[in-house]
Amino acid sequence: MRFLPLIFKNALRNRRRSFLTISSLALSICLLGVLTALYAALFHSSPPPGQELRLVTRHKVSITNVMPTWYKERIRAVPGVKEVIIWQWFGGWYKTEERDRQYFFPRMAAEADRLFAVYPEWEIPEDQKRAFQADQTGCIVGADLAKAQGFKIGDRINIRGSFFPVNLELTVRGIYHSPHESDSLWFQFKYLEQGFESLGWPNFAGTFTMLAESPEAIPGIIRAVDAMFANAEAPTKTETEYAFGLSFLAFLGNVKMILLSICGAVTFTILLVAANTMAMSVRERVREVGVLKTLGFTQEKILGILLGESMAISLIGAGIGLVMAQGLCVMLRQAPPIVQQTKTLTIEPAVLAILIGVSLLLGVASCIVPAWSAARTSILDALRFTD
Amino acid sequence: MSEATGAAAEVIIRTRKLTKEFARDSFRVVALKDVDLDVKRGEFIALMGPSGSGKSTLLHLAAAMDRPTGGTIEVLGQDIGAMGESAVARWRNRHIGFVFQSFNLIPVLTAFENVELPLKLTHLKKGERDQHARTALRLVGLDDRMHHYPKQLSGGQEQRVAIARAIVTDPDILLCDEPTGNLDAKSAQEVLTLLKRLNEEYGKTVLMVTHDPHAAHFARTIRYLDKGELLPEGQAPEDWRTPEPHA
Amino acid sequence: MKIPLSYNLRNLAVRRTTTIMTAFGIGLTVAVLAASMSLTAGLREAFRASGHPLQLILMREGSGAELSSQVSRESFNEVIRYRPGIAKLKSGEPAASLELVNTINLPSKESPDGMNLTNRGILPEGVAMREDFTMVRGRWFEFGKREVVVGSDVASRYPDAGLGRTIRFGRGEWLVVGVFDTPFPARKSEVIGDANQMLQDFQRGSLFSSVLVRAEDEVAMQALTNSLSAEQRLQLDVLTEREYYERQSSSGNLIQYVGTFVAIIMAVGSMFAAMNTMYAAVARRSKEIGTLRVLGFSRRSILTSFFIESMILAVLGGVAGLLLVLPLNGLTTGIGADATFAEIAFQLRVTPEVALTSMIFALIVGAAGGLLPAFGAARKQILTALRDM
Repeated sequence: MRFLPLIFKNALRNRRRSFLTISSLALSICLLGVLTALYAALFHSSPPPGQELRLVTRHKVSITNVMPTWYKERIRAVPGVKEVIIWQWFGGWYKTEERDRQYFFPRMAAEADRLFAVYPEWEIPEDQKRAFQADQTGCIVGADLAKAQGFKIGDRINIRGSFFPVNLELTVRGIYHSPHESDSLWFQFKYLEQGFESLGWPNFAGTFTMLAESPEAIPGIIRAVDAMFANAEAPTKTETEYAFGLSFLAFLGNVKMILLSICGAVTFTILLVAANTMAMSVRERVREVGVLKTLGFTQEKILGILLGESMAISLIGAGIGLVMAQGLCVMLRQAPPIVQQTKTLTIEPAVLAILIGVSLLLGVASCIVPAWSAARTSILDALRFTD
Repeated sequence: MSEATGAAAEVIIRTRKLTKEFARDSFRVVALKDVDLDVKRGEFIALMGPSGSGKSTLLHLAAAMDRPTGGTIEVLGQDIGAMGESAVARWRNRHIGFVFQSFNLIPVLTAFENVELPLKLTHLKKGERDQHARTALRLVGLDDRMHHYPKQLSGGQEQRVAIARAIVTDPDILLCDEPTGNLDAKSAQEVLTLLKRLNEEYGKTVLMVTHDPHAAHFARTIRYLDKGELLPEGQAPEDWRTPEPHA
Repeated sequence: MKIPLSYNLRNLAVRRTTTIMTAFGIGLTVAVLAASMSLTAGLREAFRASGHPLQLILMREGSGAELSSQVSRESFNEVIRYRPGIAKLKSGEPAASLELVNTINLPSKESPDGMNLTNRGILPEGVAMREDFTMVRGRWFEFGKREVVVGSDVASRYPDAGLGRTIRFGRGEWLVVGVFDTPFPARKSEVIGDANQMLQDFQRGSLFSSVLVRAEDEVAMQALTNSLSAEQRLQLDVLTEREYYERQSSSGNLIQYVGTFVAIIMAVGSMFAAMNTMYAAVARRSKEIGTLRVLGFSRRSILTSFFIESMILAVLGGVAGLLLVLPLNGLTTGIGADATFAEIAFQLRVTPEVALTSMIFALIVGAAGGLLPAFGAARKQILTALRDM
């Protein structure tokens, strides 16, 4: 395009205005970028490798409602299920009974003999694995958690029960590395069962975690398991582990709608800011439009040059904004996660493409009205125009 | 339709009963009335007259910047009143060079870029465009100011850049609207000399609107407009001060 | 000497498009802030208003929420029920109610897959202590039957839980025999029935969740709190009902943080836009500024005048923002209460505080955007100003 230099020079004509407009756009697009990235991560992402084959069955109502342990054998018999274990969220308090983020980390009871079969992507030395399985009060901790809390092998960890009135005295027997989640503590379900027995409680399971043989088997497993218990005392809901994690978001209200409405407000603000600038910028230049026409520029070319300018401003703003957005995404990864999906938050290529497309569209939309009317002004009116 | 053209030179602007009326509020203003004018190739005509006499309107009609309300205007044998918007734009780029009173350079572009701008509408390659623009700037004597921005130039220099921009596409006709109106005497002299040279050495047809008798004297022919009517050749309005002959 | 306000108003009116766009930009920013604030305001109100001033909630130590607490019937009868200082019901029984809390799942209008609701099982004392309940339709449930009453928010948001319908939870079906209303918003989201029936369904043995106790007066309330907290046989957390519900509203904090964060970033953006508009206004009126100065207006009046113009823009924006958010006032929505995994319905509230904060926010944006251009205008030399354009 031969007019690019002209377009760029026009875009930077009023330095202060361009700076203010570009900063304003960059901020808004940064915000839009983070929100879109969040939306994409939450609602349009696929599970990382290692997780896509895992499913979770819970009580249909909530994870605070329990299921009988005998469900496990029935689930194991479902075609496509490779392995299944009982998995019980424990909660409780570590060190403090205040709501202290510092000491908060997930604590889970699971059947130790099959745990590693269901989480095949974990890396843990064979001797640590065996030491954990051999010790009824043993536990393993994720590498990130070990680092955060300073846990070492052999450390004693005491957890006071809350939902389950059982106090745990655990010994760290191993540290595992996982590509996507290594900030949890796992201990033996047998140990929890003992606690239930001492309370005179029946045995029950909070969730069943299973590994499917193949991705194709997953829909069938979901249907079969939930159908099997539909009329039982504890109806179930089976979903992928990935989706299960997301269900915790529902407690924040209608996150999808909140995100979308903020995105809408931000987009509209960008449109207003850009439109305002372009309206001012075009108005100032109506005379020049007349000159260009005298030189033989057609309406279409003039329209193109003005639109190009607006798109250039949007693009520069978008470029800066998206870089900032990526920076914010990296910062958000460090924040205490509500769901696993935010831990790898990034501006995906698809999001990038959408946002660049959106900013180009905004560039056109913000400018089309003043540009069109300027391009259509007759030469003499344009030359005579005073602002 | 063009009639038999003179053996000496082709008529490139021919108006017959050219009339332009404006509607201002509720009453009509006649800017031009039944103007018959022939401009031959290679002429340098100064159009004079008091303000409101219609001289600028005539120039605008010749550049197809405005449409007549009556009569015909043919430029280079074409009825420009009948051309469409895009066709007119292309035609203007090819055949017309326009010089404004207030220069109207694009402030964000350098002198060179301003001159190159109309060439960007042609099919010329970058190298050819460069060469043409340089030639035009050399012709106006500003090859040493090529990379200056308009605000770094004096008024006279700006106007010379504007003239370079007007001639860079090698148009048939140069239309100048009060080209010295915003200039001091010395700069005006330079600009007028330049126009004269373009006419004499390069054979450009120049039609210049001016109310400055001194400027008019650079032209070969002076024609007067009075209240929208073109006076016969050699005739000036009665109350018009006869310009002193050019030294 | 002051430049009349009408000068600013006329100028804003002349540049209609720019004025509207700038004001609307500020308005949207204000709207985001106001919406998030009215959400939290509504949530706070729902929880804050939900406690009886003299009532205490007793839970097992460290459980944080009724759902994760256990209190057995035996310890209730032996240790809690007959404490001195507990108010008496009309029946002469102590105003102490042993309650069972569970979560059940019902499909709602907003989420057809089902949302979680608090299900509460109570005994006759529990019914007696709920004097604030009025049955808007139907009647109270009968003890010994599989009947429930639902809060008015449940009835309106969950089509399957209307009067006369049966809902499924626990081990079977329950008939909805009444819809109650109460001034305490958080309680309107509950499904209440006979605790003994529910114990069986949820296999709880004799393990209830919490105890609700009403003290005779404030002194007795303090004494009860002290003696129950110190009770060695039972390790209990004793909270006033108000404290308890206020804690539950903390999941709204995240929304407020996010809302404020977004609004602040947007505000910086709108401020830049306002600055643009004001700089353009100053540039366009350069000659006028010169003229005004020649007429004898001081630099200060020029500064004030342009600053005021920017503030007018901000006020327009603030009003636009509030008008945008106003329809949200009273809108009922649900949010998961912290730790109970159940939904609490609440209404968004555009309170006077929300409106005031939003307006101040808008004015800050306007001031920040208008100050520099106004200074620029005031600094102009008369002659340069007159020569400009």
